[in-house]
Order: sequence, then C-alpha cells, then structure tokens
Amino acid sequence: MTALLKLDDISVSIGNLGLLDRISLSVGRGQVVGLVGESGSGKSLTAMAAIGLLPLIGGRVTKGTVRFDGQDMAAMTETQRRKLRGARIGFVTQNPMTALDPVQRIGEQVDVVSRLHLGLSRADARARTLDLLTRLRIPEAGAVVDAWPHQLSGGMKQRIVIAMALAGDPDLIIADEPTTALDVTVQAQIIQILGSLVRERGVALLLITHDMGVVAQVCDRVAVLYAGRLAEEGPVGPIFAAPAHPYTAALIGCIPQDGMAKGSLTGIPGAVPSAAAFPAGCRFHPRCPRASDLCRNTPPMIVHRTAGQVACHHPGEAE
Amino acid sequence: MTAPMVKIDALSKRFQSGGGLFAKPRTMMAVREVTLSIGKGEVLGVVGESGCGKSTLARLVLRLIEPTSGRVTIDGTDITALSAGALRRIRRRMAMVFQDPYSSLDPRYSLADVLAEPLRLQGEVIAPARVDEMLASVGLPAALAASHPHQLSGGQRQRVGIARALALKPDFVVLDEPTASLDVSIQAQIIALLADLRDRLGLTYLFISHDLGLVRYFCDRIVVMYLGSVVEVLPDTRTAPRHPYTRALMDSNFAPDPARRRVIEMLTGEVPSPFALPPGCAFATRCPRASDRCRRDTPALGGDAAHPVACFHPL
Ligand SMILES: Nc1ncnc2c1ncn2[C@@H]1O[C@H](COP(=O)(O)OP(=O)(O)OP(=O)(O)O)[C@@H](O)[C@H]1O
Ligand SMILES: Nc1ncnc2c1ncn2[C@@H]1O[C@H](COP(=O)(O)OP(=O)(O)OP(=O)(O)O)[C@@H](O)[C@H]1O
Ligand code: SF4
Ligand code: SF4
Ligand SMILES: [Mg+2]
Ligand SMILES: [Mg+2]
Repeated sequence: MTALLKLDDISVSIGNLGLLDRISLSVGRGQVVGLVGESGSGKSLTAMAAIGLLPLIGGRVTKGTVRFDGQDMAAMTETQRRKLRGARIGFVTQNPMTALDPVQRIGEQVDVVSRLHLGLSRADARARTLDLLTRLRIPEAGAVVDAWPHQLSGGMKQRIVIAMALAGDPDLIIADEPTTALDVTVQAQIIQILGSLVRERGVALLLITHDMGVVAQVCDRVAVLYAGRLAEEGPVGPIFAAPAHPYTAALIGCIPQDGMAKGSLTGIPGAVPSAAAFPAGCRFHPRCPRASDLCRNTPPMIVHRTAGQVACHHPGEAE
Repeated sequence: MTAPMVKIDALSKRFQSGGGLFAKPRTMMAVREVTLSIGKGEVLGVVGESGCGKSTLARLVLRLIEPTSGRVTIDGTDITALSAGALRRIRRRMAMVFQDPYSSLDPRYSLADVLAEPLRLQGEVIAPARVDEMLASVGLPAALAASHPHQLSGGQRQRVGIARALALKPDFVVLDEPTASLDVSIQAQIIALLADLRDRLGLTYLFISHDLGLVRYFCDRIVVMYLGSVVEVLPDTRTAPRHPYTRALMDSNFAPDPARRRVIEMLTGEVPSPFALPPGCAFATRCPRASDRCRRDTPALGGDAAHPVACFHPL
C-alpha cells in the first residue's frame, strides 16, 4: 500500500528545545493508525508536524520530511498547505466546543464544509449532512440540523464535529483524543463508528489516544511514543500479542482487565521526563525493568523488522 | 459482608438552578433515595456516567453538603443529625480525596504546610518528622517537603492529596475519581498505593469512578448509578450484570486485545435532561429492552437482596 501520509525520520524543535526525535510513521488509505503514549510523550506535536501546523506554536521540523500523497510538505507554500488542509485533511480535536460556532445552526455548519470543498449546492449539501448525521447514529437528524450547539449534549456535539471532518470528503483525518471528554458508552460508540466510516470510504485515519483498549479495538497499526521518540511501531496483532518494547508491554499492562488478580496492576514507576531533562541513553531507562548499563549510556537505534520498527537494546522475542 | 460501618438510608439531594425575573427555577434530584451500606474494611465502588450524582453522593456521605432527606450513619452515629461541634469531632475519622490533583492543592503552600493543615485545623501542632512520615507513607521522598504543588507531577500531587486525607488517621475514606485526570500508568501506581494503605491501615473506602473496568479490578462490591438512582448493586466483581445499563457500561470497555474485537451494541437515544425526566424508567430512552411498562412505571431496586437490580426486564 502506498502511504497517503508519510513522516520520514522527522525531528521537531520549539526554540532550541528538541521535542521530537527521528520519528517515522505512515498512514495509508482506509487504514487506522493509533498514536499512543503517556501525556507529554509528543502525540499532539507529531500530529501538528504531520499537517504543517507547527508554526502556529513556534515549532519547526528540523530534520526529515513529511509527505502527503507523495508531495513534500516543506516544499509547499503556506497558501498551498492551507489549501491542502482545508480540502483534503479533516481535523478532530478533543474539545468540540472550540470547533463549533455558537451562533450558527448545526446544519449550516456542516453544510458549509461540503459546499466549500466539494462545490455542492445548498440542497445537495444538506442531503449529505443528513446522511452523515444518520450514519453517525444521531437520532432525529432532521431536527438536529436546526438546533444550536448549546442545545446538544457533549456526545452529540462531538459527533457533529466528526461529521464536519468527514463532510468535505477528506483523504486524511487526524483525530486528537476525539472522545476523552465523553461518557464511556458514547466514547465506545463514536470510536466504533469512526473506524467503520473510515474503512468504508477509504479515508486514512491517524487516531491519537492514550487508551490501549481503543487501539486494540479499531487500529490496524500503532505507533508508541515515549519522551519524543518512537518506542515501537507496527501492526496491532503482533504488537499486542508480544510487544517487543518494554514500554509497550508496560502500557498494555496498565489496563485493568477482567480476571486480573488483585495487586497485579502496578503501573509504570516514575513519570515521563520533561523535554528539558531527557535522560541520557534510552529515555525510558529510569523506568525500565530491563535497563542495563548499555541502556543508560547509549540511545537504542531504531531497528526495522519485517512489519514494523523497535528502538530497544533488549527487545522481547519477536514472533 | 462484615458488619456495616457506614449506613446510607434513603438519601436524597434536590438541587435548584436558574430562576430569575422571567424564568421559573428548575429542580432536579441529583441523588434519589439511595440506600447502601459499607462493611468495615470493604471497598465499595460507585460507577456511572457524568452527572449521575456520584460526587453529590460522596459529599452527602461526609455531610459536606446537607441532604434533602435521608440519613447517614457511621458506626451507629447518625451524622445527619449532629451539631457542628460533634460533626467536627467525628470528621476526624472520615476523609475525602478529590479528582483533580491540580486544583485541590493550594499552590501558595509548601507540601509541609499542605500536609500539616488538617492537623492544625484540629488544633494540633506537628513535628517535621511527622511530615516526612506522611510523605513516606505515600511513597514520596522527604526531600519534597519544601516544594510547592506546581513543582510536582500529577501522580505526585495525587499522592500528596492522599497523604493529606490520611493526616488525621481516618478509618473511612471517600475517593472521588482519584485517578481520572492521570495517565493509566500513574493510575495503576495510585491504585496499588490505595490497596496497600487499606491493608496496612485497615481503611474502608467508598471509591467513585466512571470506569467500570477499574472498579471491577479494585472494589469488593459495585454500585451502578444512572441519573441519581442506584440501578444495580453487583455483589462481587465476577457476577454478570443484570441491568441493561450495567451491561452497556461493560461493553464499552475495550479489552487491550485485538484478537477480541467485537461490535458493540449501540445504545441509541439520548440521556434525558435531569430537570425533565420522563415517567417510568430513566434508562428507557436508551434501553434496547424497553417496553411500554418501562415508559410508564418506575422500577424499584429489588429482587435478590445480595444482588438487587432496578429493572422490569433484567438480563
Ligand atoms: N508550545 C510548546 N512549547 C514548549 N514545549 C511544548 C509546547 N507544546 C508541547 N511542548 C512539549 O512537548 C512535549 C510533547 O507535547 P505534546 O503536546 O505533543 O504531548 P502529548 O503526547 O500530546 O500529551 P497529552 O497526552 O498530554 O496531550 C511535552 O513535553 C510538552 O511539554
Ligand atoms: N451545587 C449544585 N447546584 C446545582 N446542581 C448541581 C450542584 N452540584 C451538582 N449538581 C448537578 O447534580 C447532578 C449530579 O452531579 P454530580 O457532580 O454529583 O455528578 P457526577 O456523577 O459526580 O458527575 P461527574 O462524573 O461529571 O463528576 C448534575 O446534573 C449536576 O449538574
Ligand atoms: S533500551 Fe534498555 S532501557 Fe530502553 S526500553 Fe530497551 S531495555 Fe529498557
Ligand atoms: S426497566 Fe425497562 S427500560 Fe429500564 S432498564 Fe429495565 S428494561 Fe430497560
Ligand atoms: Mg496531546
Ligand atoms: Mg463527579
């Protein structure tokens, strides 16, 4: 599969602080790629780098390339990049309120996306909006299009934002923790709907989440970030069955599961270091049960395996 | 179950909101006729989605807010009837840990001050060694005593919150989503700490969470709330749920195992406004099993006393 979005060995800095270091990952059409890691590991920055939004927060790509559909993003003008984002990339953020205009009716806000990017007439745009809302299991879509944002629940608003992201028929959707603010039952439904819509339409989805359960449920591949570096990347099946990187294994082990013996959930000792104080060698070494002297002194190289990548001096058995 | 330490009897809380020149004030029942008991040394879990009344219940149980009706008895003392002075004395035995370790600690004070405060409020002076001991009990180095909350990570702050709650050596602790704002890696650390403290100090917990998976891991019995009412009490963590809402909560929990993918049954329909609950079962707008009877009559919590459920057509 040719990748629609391809980050190739990128590093990112803000000022003179290096925040991301040599990250490679790609997302193909109809594919869902999860980006996971604890808070502060660099997930949102990776997303911003992917769509050329780093300048907004004073950041820049210092190394490597980002390609969208084969085109080098760095070689485009800002106008071209803006056009690309508008027409071909949908963005869903954690907080639906920032994406919705409080003084415009829901239907109009969704309609405008397909009118602008697909050139649809008013009537066709509305028909498309109603179809999307129905697919997102919004009850009484016909009434919801006439509602104002404040009349809808959080779960509804988040579904509207997802509808807006899909309305322009984008090739890529980047969803940054799209459901963390929602109730668990609604969360599970939205994740499931998003996953199936993306596959049905051949859209590429980069799904940022801190929930390994969500990754296991909907993603094809997963990229695990730790302290600005890639720990492990590859197809979800083998990674969950036998994680090579101790950090991946630890993250999976933090999720309470049925049948788990009491006391078996111990967490990961310590905390994610801040960018100003990254440890030498492997950045995970102060928290890693397998850390050796080699780990404390030398950063592990990224090793490409048949299906993915791992950066660890003492990886678990590959299958 | 061991002898009940806390008895909650038909506890209700009504809130009023709005009201003004033209608007009529609206009322809602945040907690409705809740009856429960917590055994000594037990960890009782309360789960439910945002707005179902978990925090209100927590505050009522410690009488941080006054109930509209009902009673709370702790070791035989009806705390809803106590005078302010008597309440203060019995409060020593109870404590609360809040959800947000960022806003529950005053940024102006050092950790030593933060930890000494509950004792000072009770008119006690404390030796610096006691602060070190408190920090150590939650796995923090004594060197942190002079630092301020903003210098700590989220997990460290929540440890301080727990140490402060334990300052007066309570035997009953209410934990209101103590890990909701933390990474799963840190959540697991805090849960391990809470389990250890319970074993060492013989604590009794009321543990509130919106995560049924977490509650099933940590708690002995589980209370499920929906829009202010208890809809089911699971007697242990293995028993299969009988209420359709509990089932939906369980289904929403994705196992971290791609080999166990499944299509979850969609709950259609919206959560009704707590200010305008429809007649009948509050879950009927979303329930796949709802019948005409459910939309007319309100199911009471009943059936098996060890595993009560409020549903006309339980699973
Ligand atoms: N504008 C900024 N200036 C300086 N540092 C920043 C900036 N934005 C992010 N960082 C730092 O970069 C690192 C990665 O941040 P990022 O927001 O990508 O994390 P994340 O994985 O998305 O975390 P979360 O799960 O909390 O959203 C963090 O250490 C953060 O403090
Ligand atoms: N002081 C108050 N005045 C008016 N209404 C209130 C007050 N406190 C809570 N409520 C309402 O009571 C209901 C229950 O709130 P509560 O905070 O107990 O829910 P919760 O289950 O803790 O939710 P969350 O999971 O979001 O913390 C909500 O509808 C809330 O808006
Ligand atoms: S390189 Fe060493 S410290 Fe880092 S994850 Fe691998 S074993 Fe652990
Ligand atoms: S009483 Fe009826 S509507 Fe309520 S949960 Fe049971 S089956 Fe569903
Ligand atoms: Mg982020
Ligand atoms: Mg609450």
